[in-house]
Amino acid sequence: MTWLTWRQFRAQAVTAAVALGAFAILLATTGPSLASRFAGSRITGCHGGFAGGGCNSAAIGFLNRLAATTLYPAVYGLGLVVIIVAPAIIGIFWGAPLIARELETRTFALVWTQGITRTRWLTVKLALTGLAAMAVTEALSLMYAWWAEPIGRAISLGASTSVFTGGRFSPLIFATRGITPLGYAAFAFALGAAAGALIRRALPAMAVTLAIFAAVQIATPLWIRPYLIPPRHTTATFASVQAVDIGTLAATVVPGHPGAWILSSAAVDAAGQPVNLGAVSASCFSQAPPGIKEGPSAPALWQCLQRRHVKAAVTYQPGSRYWPLQGIETGIFLALAVSLAGFFCFWRLGRRRT
Amino acid sequence: MSAVLETSRLGKRYRRLWALADCTLSIPGGHVVGLVGPNGAGKSTLLNLAVGLLAPTAGTIEVLGTPPAAGPAELARVGYLAQDAPVYAGLSVADHLRLGARLNPGWDAELARDRVERLDLDPHQKAGTLSGGQRAQLALTLAIAKRPELLILDEPVASLDPLARREFLADLMEATAEQELSVVLSSHLVADLERVCDYLIVLVGSRVRVAGPVDELLAAHYLLAGPRRDPATLPDELTVISASHTDVQTTLLVRASGPVLDPAWTISEVGLEDLVLAYMSQAAAPGHGRRHLEVQK
Amino acid sequence: MIEFHLDARSGVAPYRQLIHQVRQALRLGLLHEGDQLPKVKDVVAVLAINPNTVLKAYRELEYEGLVAARPGIGTFVTGTLDGGPLAAHGPLRHELQRWLGRARRAGLDDESIEALFVSTFRSAAEEDIA
Repeated sequence: MTWLTWRQFRAQAVTAAVALGAFAILLATTGPSLASRFAGSRITGCHGGFAGGGCNSAAIGFLNRLAATTLYPAVYGLGLVVIIVAPAIIGIFWGAPLIARELETRTFALVWTQGITRTRWLTVKLALTGLAAMAVTEALSLMYAWWAEPIGRAISLGASTSVFTGGRFSPLIFATRGITPLGYAAFAFALGAAAGALIRRALPAMAVTLAIFAAVQIATPLWIRPYLIPPRHTTATFASVQAVDIGTLAATVVPGHPGAWILSSAAVDAAGQPVNLGAVSASCFSQAPPGIKEGPSAPALWQCLQRRHVKAAVTYQPGSRYWPLQGIETGIFLALAVSLAGFFCFWRLGRRRT
Repeated sequence: MSAVLETSRLGKRYRRLWALADCTLSIPGGHVVGLVGPNGAGKSTLLNLAVGLLAPTAGTIEVLGTPPAAGPAELARVGYLAQDAPVYAGLSVADHLRLGARLNPGWDAELARDRVERLDLDPHQKAGTLSGGQRAQLALTLAIAKRPELLILDEPVASLDPLARREFLADLMEATAEQELSVVLSSHLVADLERVCDYLIVLVGSRVRVAGPVDELLAAHYLLAGPRRDPATLPDELTVISASHTDVQTTLLVRASGPVLDPAWTISEVGLEDLVLAYMSQAAAPGHGRRHLEVQK
Repeated sequence: MIEFHLDARSGVAPYRQLIHQVRQALRLGLLHEGDQLPKVKDVVAVLAINPNTVLKAYRELEYEGLVAARPGIGTFVTGTLDGGPLAAHGPLRHELQRWLGRARRAGLDDESIEALFVSTFRSAAEEDIA
């Protein structure tokens, strides 16, 4: 059965190998030069962390120079797209046809009457192809993580451009680093196989798989990931949360928790009740000393708000929760994958139906 | 020989429709069994139940003494050729033989190779480009080379031209003789089965109408022609299967449990095709749908 | 090795046709004592008939004492038919030709001659059995 699984999978394996190879070559030829640019910037050996001026400006300079080229933003963007899209492609082209094609072409009547049981046939096919799916996606992710490491470090030092943006908690980055790609690949594959087993025709199964997977991938960072572990809340002055945007006054750091993932930021009064931030900051504006054309600067606004006892209420996940969140999310997707495979594939292929 | 296929009130229902109902059979081994009936009568359903591709809704079925496809050992004893001989279009002939070798414990590689050579099949040709007859022969090779005790074939020659049909049946008979196989094959044409079957099951409207060895069935049925008469007036030993009347003459196809002594009848033998057609028309006639006649051994 | 053929429309059961052809072969000198009859699988591979049909024919020939089955090897001719080769029956053939001439002169056509012969032959055979 191992041989047959491989033989039926051969074409898809070759495509995956070629894609992996091409991606690896691209990264291997551009990675060293990126690393040497990073080594030549003043980030290495600087001190000060995020807010310390030296590192921050070195990081900004590095990223700006990088963004000015065409090559590095292109490879960076391409890598993100490839890793985001890989599980979906696997789900559609590896998962959906796995069972559906056998049902469609009626080859199940041939292969289920040879000398192995249906359970063994399905177990081997799902396990081997599913493992391959996870391996390919994770390989893509690891290669890319190696390549983009300098950029990630620069971003964590506070730099950002239009392309090179997003800390490790941002939706695109969280989904393409660490171990989450494993979970997505397994889930997409099992989703495809289950859709194929239920719908019994490959093309509709592919469409359904794509639709459901896309919906899940959109919903997860918006509504699920932030609450996998109950978030923490804190209240602090607008100064200490570095609310540098005058318009939204959104918190950008959490005091005492560098690298935290800020989920929401609002204004509260001394008693903890919500405050209409627009009205308060407007009144701060109206009291600005005459002669200043654009209104008060952010620090002046912060002082004004502090005098009125208005504080920022921030909901966040501490940075230390990065790996636990990765693990929980991956675990959930893996569990979903196993359930889909177990329930829809094994149950649906039971003898009550042809 | 012990029974190769035994069913007791076997039935299969899809939503509201009974594809097979109240099927009780005891098919002895060592025969080539013909399962004949019109399209939609339940032949494929019965064969799918026999190889474990379907599970019964009612009743029981045993193949070679065990429930169908209970495990790898049971799967190895039964060879199956599905309708239209499905094969993997992207795999070559040699790949299919490798499939057989890997998935079947009792695979006879030499037999498979010999057959492929004798059939003049190109081992490297993709199975999707084979003709209908070649596909059927490849599928038959797979079924035979696993050295089963029982071979089940679902309308194996339905879509083959006459030459391919004859070659397939000849091959099948040779393998049957050589390996001492029991065979069950279905068809909606009696002519296909007449040469090769020595046991007959007629399936019409999801029910078995008659089952038994062919020579006993033919010996027990007669065509009676004589002056116009009401079939109800016949003696009990004669069961009327089909009747046709003109204003002066009556022609009956009867099953007789004893000799026909009435000199008014002209008696002639019945051919297999006429016998099957008579049972099919009996099934179609109102009020006669429920009869099941079996010739006891 | 002789070869069998079947007439599907003759109305005669296949196994009877096979028996008939073996006997004919013996009469015509195509088969001698010690010759092997075709193997069952080879017969069915050409004729596409049920192996049991061939087995039945061979069994009946064995019962008549004309052949013997050697398990694992094949079926071999062991006996001859009574009456010797057809060539030795000159007087009988001559008598038959004269009877045919008389039947024609009496006005019987081919079908009537055949019907007369067959019915007389059959009733005589039945009397023999009885």
